[in-house]
Amino acid sequence: MKIFKFIVSKIFLRKAILGIGIMLLLLMANYITFTAARSILSTFQGYQETKYVNQEGVYIANLDPDSHIDMSMIGESGTQAVYDYLNSSFKYAFYTDGFIVSVPNDDDMKISLGYLNEQYYRLNEFEFSQGTDLDFDYQLDGEIPILIGKGLSKTYPVGATIELEESVLGRPLTLRVQGVLKQNAYHSNFYALNSKAYYNFSILFPVNEEFINHANMDIKFNGLMDIILLETSKEEIADLSEVIKDNLGLSFNFFSQKENYDYFNEYYLHSLKIIFITTFILLIVITCLSVWNGLVSVRLMLKDFTINLLVGLSYSKLKRIFYGYFGMLSFVNVALIATFTAFNRYGCWLRKDTTFATYGLFGLIGMDWLALLLVVVSDIAIGIIVVESMLWKIKKVPISLGVLK
Amino acid sequence: MSGIIDLCVKEKIYKNKKSQISILNDFRLEVAAGEKIAIVGESGAGKSSLLNIIGLLDRNYVGEYTLFGSPTDQLHTSQLAQWRNQRIGFVLQESALINSLTVEDNIKLPFLYASPDKKGVGEIEDFDAVVNAIEIRHILKKKPLECSGGEKARAVFARGIVMKPQLILADEPTASLDVENRERIVTLLFNMNKEFNTTIITVTHDLEIANRHDRVIHLERSK
Repeated sequence: MKIFKFIVSKIFLRKAILGIGIMLLLLMANYITFTAARSILSTFQGYQETKYVNQEGVYIANLDPDSHIDMSMIGESGTQAVYDYLNSSFKYAFYTDGFIVSVPNDDDMKISLGYLNEQYYRLNEFEFSQGTDLDFDYQLDGEIPILIGKGLSKTYPVGATIELEESVLGRPLTLRVQGVLKQNAYHSNFYALNSKAYYNFSILFPVNEEFINHANMDIKFNGLMDIILLETSKEEIADLSEVIKDNLGLSFNFFSQKENYDYFNEYYLHSLKIIFITTFILLIVITCLSVWNGLVSVRLMLKDFTINLLVGLSYSKLKRIFYGYFGMLSFVNVALIATFTAFNRYGCWLRKDTTFATYGLFGLIGMDWLALLLVVVSDIAIGIIVVESMLWKIKKVPISLGVLK
Repeated sequence: MSGIIDLCVKEKIYKNKKSQISILNDFRLEVAAGEKIAIVGESGAGKSSLLNIIGLLDRNYVGEYTLFGSPTDQLHTSQLAQWRNQRIGFVLQESALINSLTVEDNIKLPFLYASPDKKGVGEIEDFDAVVNAIEIRHILKKKPLECSGGEKARAVFARGIVMKPQLILADEPTASLDVENRERIVTLLFNMNKEFNTTIITVTHDLEIANRHDRVIHLERSK
């Protein structure tokens, strides 16, 4: 340790510009590896999560971006007519969120209300940390069973009730906590698989037919946007499209998830590939720059190394010191990135950002740790290349008295 | 006197960027403990290369070498480093100091790599004894660039002997010194030999100094 401290402080860090140079290069390499790894991991999670809708006979509604919205045509009776048609002719999974409500809680977070019907609930196979299955057979006048995110469970354990002035029905409701979702449960966007929202501060509200019948127009209209139609066909979809057009004056597209994947692959995955290739090229460039930096350092410090080798330092010890030094730089960089990421995640809590507040070891979620692991793996690869190059350079000029003349 | 060096070099190829030459062909050297040997010869004859071989810095030659009774080809690189640290002292020209370290840190450098039994109280005693003998206490806190040529030469000398080596290899230690400092270094070197029976091998161009050794070996350039 004494030798390591001596060589690092008296030789490596003596030329500050070289020490800082290699530190910054490694930080750049680590940061781009980390961000690329997280994007890829998040996309992979999105694929895994949305697999359930990637089946024959499943279509997802999406408002045609070119459709002209005439608000005067959208009314209570029109939306109800669409739902009447849906209820009579289709099996569909309904989910809509983004309704922010004030529910007192220990973390003082705003709460996101998500509405889902039984089909959506069954398709998703939500994982619980506590509680039991959500019950959809309830009366609006009684206690309504709900699922909550992990963040709310501190204030509202299973069995607790929440009084809420619910805006969709426009009346006070009593909600009873039936189950608590697993920590950091999330759902991915069907069209942007790398984007996700977390349920930690959400209430998942069961939607049944009675609820739909009493609900206001907003939720019905919003619910149509990503409604999932099950066990259906192109022809039936075409009929539904007509019904929507007639009642709301809107054009909807109905894509299978395969088509959504294709869309994602065409626009997002292509970008991800570019990010991946750019990251790879940048990593090669940064590695080359690090090697160059290392070789320059050796050239400038050759006399110092030779004197140390002359009085008892061995190549094997020097190799261990080089690896130790690189390991130290890598550790500092990984710690910096971890701190920066944890600070970003903590920022969601400070901003009371309901959809991105997450829990994790030192503030980092599983995906962050996995990306950091990949950073460590890339550091090991870069470290081997840089250190072995430096040792090669030192050994290329054998220790000899001639070097010191 | 028992032998501490038994070296037989059949051939050593010296390479530089432009060419390669064969030096020290069929060269044999036997040195007894406590002997003082001077090596002289024109540039390119292989004087420093010979010192590199004797000092366990270079094993890239054809031949056999037994040092302190052990065949050196059987020694691991870490053992070679340990011997360079504890049994061999290098006395070089005054430029062989690390400029970013103080003179004290330069002299103490071998202690950094010493085995634990060489550290501690013994380290301080040895260091103090050397500093007093060489009269360099006043420059200990200075950086080499703040010292005169003679002071630097004495600092290099101090580093070479601080571990009380059995063998001192001196590579033109007086090359750029004035008469007074040259005499000082040679006297210090010979005192080590007298007091501790240290074997001295000196490479020099100075025939006057060479002739004060027990034996002078002339190296010639290969034809």
